[in-house]
Amino acid sequence: MSAAKVKMREKKLRNQPSNVQYSSTHSVDNSDARQGGWVRGHHRDAGGYAKEMPKFITGGTFARARAAEVNAMLKAVNKTPGSSYVFAALPKHMRRRAMSHNTKRLPRRLRDVANRMREKTYQAATKKKKEQAKNKSRKARRRHGNLLLEFNRRQRKNIWLETHIWHAKRFHMVKKWGYCLGDRPTNKCYRPCYRAMSNHCLLQDLSYYCCIELHGEEDKLLAALSQLTSKDTGPTFASAVCLSGCRQGSLTVYKAGQYPSHPLGLVTFLWRPRTQGSALRQLWIWAHPTLKQDLLAELQAVCLCSEAVAMVTPVEAHPTTEPEPEKSSEAKLVPGKKRKRNHKDSSEPSAKKILGDGTRSTTSPVTWKSSLTGIIINDLTMELVRFRLIGPQSHSVLTDTLEAATRCEVLCKEQQPTHTSSLWWPELCKDESRMKLHQQQADLFHTLKSIFSSSELTAGTVLSLTVDDPRLNLPTKKVQALPCVQQAEEVCEEKRRELTLRGVPEHCCQSFLWDQSVRNSVTDNKIPEQTLNRMRREVLVPGSRLSPTPLQGRVPILLVHQPGKQLGTERTGWGAGWDLLLPKGWGMAFWVPLVYRGVRVGGLNMSLKHNQNKATPHFPHDYPDCPAGVRFQDEQEAELLNKLKRRPPAKRPNYIKLGCLAPLRCPWQQLAEEWELISRDLREEKTHDGPVEQQVSPLGGATVKPQHFTVLRSRSSLRLLSCWCRPSSSKGQRLRGVGESSPLSHSAASALVEAHRMSVVWVRLSLLSKGKPELHAMLCAPTAEDLRLLAKEQRANGPQEPPHKDHFKSRIGRSKKSQKTASPANDTSQSSDLVIGLWPDPLPSVSSHCSRVMLGWVTQGDFSLSAGCGEALGFITVSGLIHTLIKQPVEHRGTLLLRNPASLHYRFIKVNIEV
Amino acid sequence: MTDPRNPDSASQAIEMDPVEYTLRKRLPRKLPKRRNDVYVNMKTDFRAQLARCQKLLEGGAHREICVHGLGLAINRAINIALQLQASSQGALQLAANTSTVELVDDLEPEDPDEAGEPMTRTRNNSAIHIKVFTEFPTPAKG
Repeated sequence: MSAAKVKMREKKLRNQPSNVQYSSTHSVDNSDARQGGWVRGHHRDAGGYAKEMPKFITGGTFARARAAEVNAMLKAVNKTPGSSYVFAALPKHMRRRAMSHNTKRLPRRLRDVANRMREKTYQAATKKKKEQAKNKSRKARRRHGNLLLEFNRRQRKNIWLETHIWHAKRFHMVKKWGYCLGDRPTNKCYRPCYRAMSNHCLLQDLSYYCCIELHGEEDKLLAALSQLTSKDTGPTFASAVCLSGCRQGSLTVYKAGQYPSHPLGLVTFLWRPRTQGSALRQLWIWAHPTLKQDLLAELQAVCLCSEAVAMVTPVEAHPTTEPEPEKSSEAKLVPGKKRKRNHKDSSEPSAKKILGDGTRSTTSPVTWKSSLTGIIINDLTMELVRFRLIGPQSHSVLTDTLEAATRCEVLCKEQQPTHTSSLWWPELCKDESRMKLHQQQADLFHTLKSIFSSSELTAGTVLSLTVDDPRLNLPTKKVQALPCVQQAEEVCEEKRRELTLRGVPEHCCQSFLWDQSVRNSVTDNKIPEQTLNRMRREVLVPGSRLSPTPLQGRVPILLVHQPGKQLGTERTGWGAGWDLLLPKGWGMAFWVPLVYRGVRVGGLNMSLKHNQNKATPHFPHDYPDCPAGVRFQDEQEAELLNKLKRRPPAKRPNYIKLGCLAPLRCPWQQLAEEWELISRDLREEKTHDGPVEQQVSPLGGATVKPQHFTVLRSRSSLRLLSCWCRPSSSKGQRLRGVGESSPLSHSAASALVEAHRMSVVWVRLSLLSKGKPELHAMLCAPTAEDLRLLAKEQRANGPQEPPHKDHFKSRIGRSKKSQKTASPANDTSQSSDLVIGLWPDPLPSVSSHCSRVMLGWVTQGDFSLSAGCGEALGFITVSGLIHTLIKQPVEHRGTLLLRNPASLHYRFIKVNIEV
Repeated sequence: MTDPRNPDSASQAIEMDPVEYTLRKRLPRKLPKRRNDVYVNMKTDFRAQLARCQKLLEGGAHREICVHGLGLAINRAINIALQLQASSQGALQLAANTSTVELVDDLEPEDPDEAGEPMTRTRNNSAIHIKVFTEFPTPAKG
């Protein structure tokens, strides 16, 4: 009997006559003792009831025994059983509502008991409360200052974005990368979000992306940065369009000078347009928070920037020294009842809220400079707010929400003496050339209205703008922003053509957002919500635009176009949109007006789906060769293992029986090593139809060099592979640029394999028939037999994997038995390394474990709503892919098999490599 | 699904060396679409597109529909219109218009540092717009 059961029983029998046995030890003799009285229940030690009735009864003892029994019974009847509440003692028809609240509703005979019980519970409650901290009243807790303190306490470990509270009310929040981020909305809106992405607009807060600013002379910066990149992978930092500042670029960064190996990750970058009379350039590099520390260290090494500059930089006053005024001052002003506590909290964390950054500690420096090269590295994390709008209508949402800043000449002339230095916009209005530029930018922004879809624009265009505070004309109701092409068409057909063909001219990309002093001034002088509400109250027509625009209501912003799907032929331009860069502190001021224009808001999982539909690798997920990717894999493995262990063992899929070696984590390194061995053996044999399985030695062998696997990113090799993957005789598909690529031949193939021995290549896979690929599904090479099956029937179901045998199950059972006898310290260590249904750690040969030769794994897979079939993204070893392709007949080139980890069924898939 | 497709027309030769530039075609410009506009493409099954047009006409909501085709899809648009007319036993009439659509191509240099700016160029493609309508329009329509 378990402990809980025993306890329960004890409680039930507390008021029962515990032992009604009349002890009769003093009577006749020991053997008769148990028969003296009646005994409740069946006594174990008695060994059963007496077989024969007693021959005689002693009157005295008998009467005494019966008297004891009767007494016990009476006692039991008079007492209410303790387990039931007083009210339960009443029959149902006599119970009344809220009896426990008011004991007078009880019949009088029960009132005493009820009162006593009530008192008892009161005492218990007060005791508990005293044990807890002295809680403030709700009213006190919700007071603004105290609330802020509480918020600051709660984000000590994981920083909140500016839109956190908005998100926390609507999203499942996750703590990731030092931030609290919205993962997915609490309401069911997977499909609406997808529709928003493909038809209207989806909004995301990407402020957690880290921005690193580089300051220096152009040639020195380029010389330093060129060590991190390679022209093989595409445009670099030095590409002409990006360097002019008109376009945003993106690239993969490597460790300095180690190009094919040691990648760091994906970054996007933006140059500040050249300013006249200054050789200094400014560059923003945006990176994922998991990548930031690696990148920063590498940048410092490359730029020789090792001197950390203390809180004040030589150029501008650093923002960390001056915390955001409104919040910190309010926090300090709170007349706290508990002064002691208040003092402790208000000094540090209220400042930290503004400092907020999940990727570094508050005390670490944010600026480094180099005396040799003169380059200054500035960590601008959380200094800028970045919102992403995805979808063809995102520009109409923007044009609806934002209005180019109005001039304030009249006003500033009147108030010149008071406002000369504090605000940047009135100052600017005096400069005629700058106002001209502003006018041009505003015109360009108006031209956006006549465009129907965001994908019509040149990819990566940057448009700088100064806008009025968007809170000034907040619609009273949520409205759907729609393009108004027809009205705008006649007006500026010419301009529209110019914009779509040439993009934004260089001088229009110059923005004040690059200026730290302007950013700070804008952040500091933001009108509080309270003042705005007061202004709204005074407006004659409710809901109309607030005017005149207050002087501090101008914000410099940058609009950066995000290209949609660019590679491949299907769904071109899907998922294009705009990024909105704002100075910090203005997040909510722009967020709510955007939401009021009928956008949907997506979380982290939507950005994953966005990338999946766009067929681009998503940063930490699809970069297994980067340190950030490895870290991500560790986390994912732990998470998946936890999830698996939560299910009862009988309800888990037995991955050993299913022939799935790595359902939780893909051993890329092992796979690459194995394929390297296989291809070497093949080369030595010079025959390519020998059984592959026998040639693999299960554990690497001594000949393998300890080389790290890499992801193939060289464009020329990718282009070659992509050509070879396509079936050449398929209907409707023609080889593009037939002349440039050599056809698949043994010599060309072996040359490529030789060049990329330890490489895996990122592929997009689409299922030919039904099926939904899942995470870590296996990608295998079909046999000739399978392909014949496919040739016979186009939508053929794939082959089946014969079930494997689980040799570990018996071992686990044995170890469990031994655990019972062993000490508890022993058993925890044993159970941790053996999980039912998972292969223990030294895996056997992964490539030849199943009946089909394994080539790679899927890293993301789902039913794709845009393609209408299952689609997956994954990696395949280069040598494995080429060896498979060579063996395949021409019409089935690029057909592979996919098997989900929890299934034995192989399905046919088509490989696409898009360059 | 109803995107006016940009068919792979090899009619215009690439002037640039294909090794130095990658050609990327942008989608043709989209315009607001009414309910009775049908954009014909080469990807969707012909029968499905035909059935769609028939449904629109037989549903009674529309007296006329517009079938648009661009480039390679012109043929198919004509086919659909003619099939509609043939199956209606003379109740439907056609009015065809042709137009020219400007398409935009991006040319991205392979070696972005030296070759300089990526280029955009425009080229033209033909399009057809066929109005399919009932012969005797009912006067009740307001």
